[in-house]
Amino acid sequence: MPLLSVESQLPWLAELAGAPLPNRREEAWRFTDLAPLRDLEPTLLPVVDPLGGVPLPKGVSRLDPAEWAPLLDASLVATGSEAAWPVGLNRAADPQVLALRVTGEADPLELAWDAGSAKGLAALRVLLVLEPGSSLDVLQVVNSSGANCTSLITEVLLAENARLNLGVLALGHGMASLLAHVAVKQEPGSALSCTTATAGWGLVRLEPRVMQSAGSAQTRLRGLQMVDGQQLADTHSFMSFGGPAGELDQVHKVVANGSGRSVFNGAVKVPQAAQQTNASQLSRSLLLSDRARVDTKPELEIVADDVKCAHGATVSQLQANELFYLQSRGIGADQAAHLLLRGYCDEVLRELPAMASAWHPLARLLGDGA
Amino acid sequence: MIRSDAPVLLEINDLCARVEDQPILKGVNLTIRSGEIHAVMGRNGSGKSTLSKVLAGHPAYTVTAGSVLYRGENLLELAPEQRARTGLFLGFQYPVEIAGVNNLEFLRVATNARRTEQGLDELDTFAFEDLVRERLGVVQMDPAFLERGLNEGFSGGEKKRNEILQMALLEPLVAILDETDSGLDIDALRIVAGGVNQLAGPDNATLLVTHYQRLLDLITPDYVHVMAAGRILRTGGKDLALELERDGYDWVDQELARLGAEPAEVG
Amino acid sequence: MSTAATVGDLVSQPYKYGFVTDIQTEKIAKGLSEDVVRLISAKKEEPSFLLDFRLKAYQQWLKMEEPDWAALGHPKIDYQEIIYYAAPKQKDKKASLDEVDPKLLETFEKLGIPLSEQKRLSNVAVDAVFDSVSIATTYKEKLAEHGVIFCSISEAVKEHAVLVERYLGTVVPTSDNYFAALNSAVFSDGSFVFIPKGVECPMELSTYFRINSADTGQFERTLIVAEEGASVSYLEGCTAPMFDTNQLHAAVVELVTLDDASIKYSTVQNWYAGDENGVGGIYNFVTKRGQCRGARSKISWTQVETGSAITWKYPSCVLQGADSVGEFYSVALTNHRQQADTGTKMIHLGPRTRSTIVSKGISAGHSSNSYRGLVQMGTKAIGAKNYSQCDSMLIGDRAAANTYPYIRSQQPDASVEHEASTCRISADQLFYLQSRGIGFEEAVSMMVSGFCRDVFNQLPMEFAAEADKLLALKLEGSVG
Repeated sequence: MPLLSVESQLPWLAELAGAPLPNRREEAWRFTDLAPLRDLEPTLLPVVDPLGGVPLPKGVSRLDPAEWAPLLDASLVATGSEAAWPVGLNRAADPQVLALRVTGEADPLELAWDAGSAKGLAALRVLLVLEPGSSLDVLQVVNSSGANCTSLITEVLLAENARLNLGVLALGHGMASLLAHVAVKQEPGSALSCTTATAGWGLVRLEPRVMQSAGSAQTRLRGLQMVDGQQLADTHSFMSFGGPAGELDQVHKVVANGSGRSVFNGAVKVPQAAQQTNASQLSRSLLLSDRARVDTKPELEIVADDVKCAHGATVSQLQANELFYLQSRGIGADQAAHLLLRGYCDEVLRELPAMASAWHPLARLLGDGA
Repeated sequence: MIRSDAPVLLEINDLCARVEDQPILKGVNLTIRSGEIHAVMGRNGSGKSTLSKVLAGHPAYTVTAGSVLYRGENLLELAPEQRARTGLFLGFQYPVEIAGVNNLEFLRVATNARRTEQGLDELDTFAFEDLVRERLGVVQMDPAFLERGLNEGFSGGEKKRNEILQMALLEPLVAILDETDSGLDIDALRIVAGGVNQLAGPDNATLLVTHYQRLLDLITPDYVHVMAAGRILRTGGKDLALELERDGYDWVDQELARLGAEPAEVG
Repeated sequence: MSTAATVGDLVSQPYKYGFVTDIQTEKIAKGLSEDVVRLISAKKEEPSFLLDFRLKAYQQWLKMEEPDWAALGHPKIDYQEIIYYAAPKQKDKKASLDEVDPKLLETFEKLGIPLSEQKRLSNVAVDAVFDSVSIATTYKEKLAEHGVIFCSISEAVKEHAVLVERYLGTVVPTSDNYFAALNSAVFSDGSFVFIPKGVECPMELSTYFRINSADTGQFERTLIVAEEGASVSYLEGCTAPMFDTNQLHAAVVELVTLDDASIKYSTVQNWYAGDENGVGGIYNFVTKRGQCRGARSKISWTQVETGSAITWKYPSCVLQGADSVGEFYSVALTNHRQQADTGTKMIHLGPRTRSTIVSKGISAGHSSNSYRGLVQMGTKAIGAKNYSQCDSMLIGDRAAANTYPYIRSQQPDASVEHEASTCRISADQLFYLQSRGIGFEEAVSMMVSGFCRDVFNQLPMEFAAEADKLLALKLEGSVG
């Protein structure tokens, strides 16, 4: 340890973002130690084309800068994320914006990034503009295998009656960090299904944030985060209803193993204008190790009386009665536990867009040949 | 039982009502004397359920014209609870569930509100339990349901039995049973109908609102009214119900077309 | 159908305990300093350990900042504008009730707490606290026969100094939080209960707190200790006059149970809540915590919160002993501009510890009602279990119901289960009850009390009806 404190010197990321790293005295970062970001190699990594040279699918076209410039930030503003530190960092890194327009029934789209073993910061920014009545399945695959940080912002504007099935499959490395925002602004009649699965990262901060600008839309959120070793995964989700008759169906699952730390904070805001909202949020955590830790904090804020809002949270081991049932059918304890764990994870993973199966998410998450 | 000299309990004159901005009842006329059993039949959307809710004072419906006299007094200016206390009873098509409100306690409060109106003493918990246990027999209901939340988790049949139990306790002068047969299997239907028959007497009247003949096989009406497009289109004896069962409602359309009326959409 | 509006109107009921007793009061000068802390201690003729305790707390308080994380909107409290000690003028603590100022007895009688021999409640012992001091404690002798100590904390400090010194501040350390530190420095009076080994307290114990003076803060301190195998049921009630200024109430309650002991602590809180525009009312910033030190011991909190302009209160259980049990049952009703931020903390340290949380929040008017809870499973809480249920009932579309249930687990063989839902009084439900002859007000009241039933069932018999009546009272009024 050098005698002179390195604290006095701003980490490179703080310098780049023009703001100090969030600290744990801030409520939104209370459980999340950003130490892995302090020592990041001060290098901006070049980003490879996420389309991998494959032409854009039918129904998807590029927006030119004159078209996307006025649309950029709209969903960040709508979801109140523009001042968030990871957003500021991404902006400061000034990544090339992949801005896509979706018309009609588009063919599925896959975007893949792999920061590999390079050291430094990889910043990515995607803007998806879905026109009225259009629909799209999109899978984002984010990988890393080294001491780097991936900063990803996905902005989505869902016009009336548009439908988006968005999957984020993020498989990282113990040295790697991921800071991801998914900000969605939904117009009435639109439907969003957003499924995220993260595993393997030393540090993940994932913020799915959705605003139904005038209610009357459907939002389905599914999340699975796995931690093992010394990993930390933190999902802060945010859902707000700007008008009546909106729906939210959210399930967030956690598997905590090793000395892993899992954090889930799920905010749901139902203001006075959002009568007839029907919102449900379920947070389920499996705590599989006595060195691991799970922090779960749903936050429901309701100012409307004619609404249905329910939430639930559980933290436990695998269910003893379920294990026993399988064992009583002749399945060994370990295998029974594995089967239950697979079922638990698959419930979320099978909601990823269909092309995710090519990445064998279940096998890679559970580290077996399943 | 028809007695022309029996006192008039309910007299409905040119009753019109709407829900939100939609007119549903468009001039209903109906007179009910004590001792009579009336059946109002009609298709979905004819306005028959609305009629029963308007009579009970459901706040979602607004009376726009006409009058209803109950024992010679203006029924429409009474609050729903006052109608109930003076002996008007609505058996709901879909009784609501109210978690946490104990069924037995609810029955006692309701019974005592009616008794107070009648100038009778309130029953204490013990006297009331005796009464309830006796009346349970009318609908062959398991006493265990008394200890549950009001209709909470009751099956469709159990809810309807609970409705008739309430009727047995409140001893109404005019009982309006809105689609009481819906959702009942044949055994439950028999029990419920048996209860209604047991409670019907020379001093009260019953108004059955129903879609099907099968309830009328068990409870014989003195009058059958056919409702369509918010009014009573035809009135007859119990044979009219059999006629409907045999010939269906097609003639209603012709009749309506003749009258140039639009069918109502909600009922 | 304007159900919301009419139900809302129902909740507007004048506060009936808002009178002021005209009595000569001895007050010290406004403001807080080390001298004031010394003065309070001197007035109460306290032993030196307690003065040291107070001074230490004061020093800690000076270094702390008033918390704002509960997001309660209230004007900054000026701690130099508060009077920290006010006592009705009377000679030394009376040997018999006959010598107590009749005005005081009358006050408590008006509040429904008769203290005189003839009228007092037959199976409840009462400690009556008026502003900063305890006026009288009934049934002391009868309790003493069983070895039960029930007296004001001031008296306990003198008569049972060893016990007080052993337990005071061991559950809620002086530095626990801003308001606990303040209380530790300036607490005036409160109750002390000690149930010796193996004794089941023969009657309900109850303390009734009355704030009378306009600019006085009330800082009571309650300490209840149940030794091995002992058990007690304790009830706290409170009211205050209507003033258009806000008064601060910052109490600390500490409970300790040793092996196999149990404490049931119930509160029916009806401080003045301010008027419909949010003027006046009590700021109720309270630290209540119980520590299940012994194996198989149990602490159960039941609260019915209807008053106060602002409530900030999280009765908690530290479940240290193996197989110990914590419970929290709460009804919080807010109306007008009231703000309640309440909930509990269940800290599971020992193996096989169990906790249950049932919270029912009712928000009406422009009020804000938040449940904030923490369930924590420590690394040694093997086989521990928690179940929480938080339901909100909304009346009208301008009231807020917030739920912040925070869960932390570090023990795989522990299970935590939380459920929450919201409901309202639907027009259909109201109509159903009305069509059975039940009046509008009674229908609303039935449904609210049905909503709260799980909690009311936990109150001691004598007070369950009281609580039901209190809610009904808050819901009484003209039908709009």
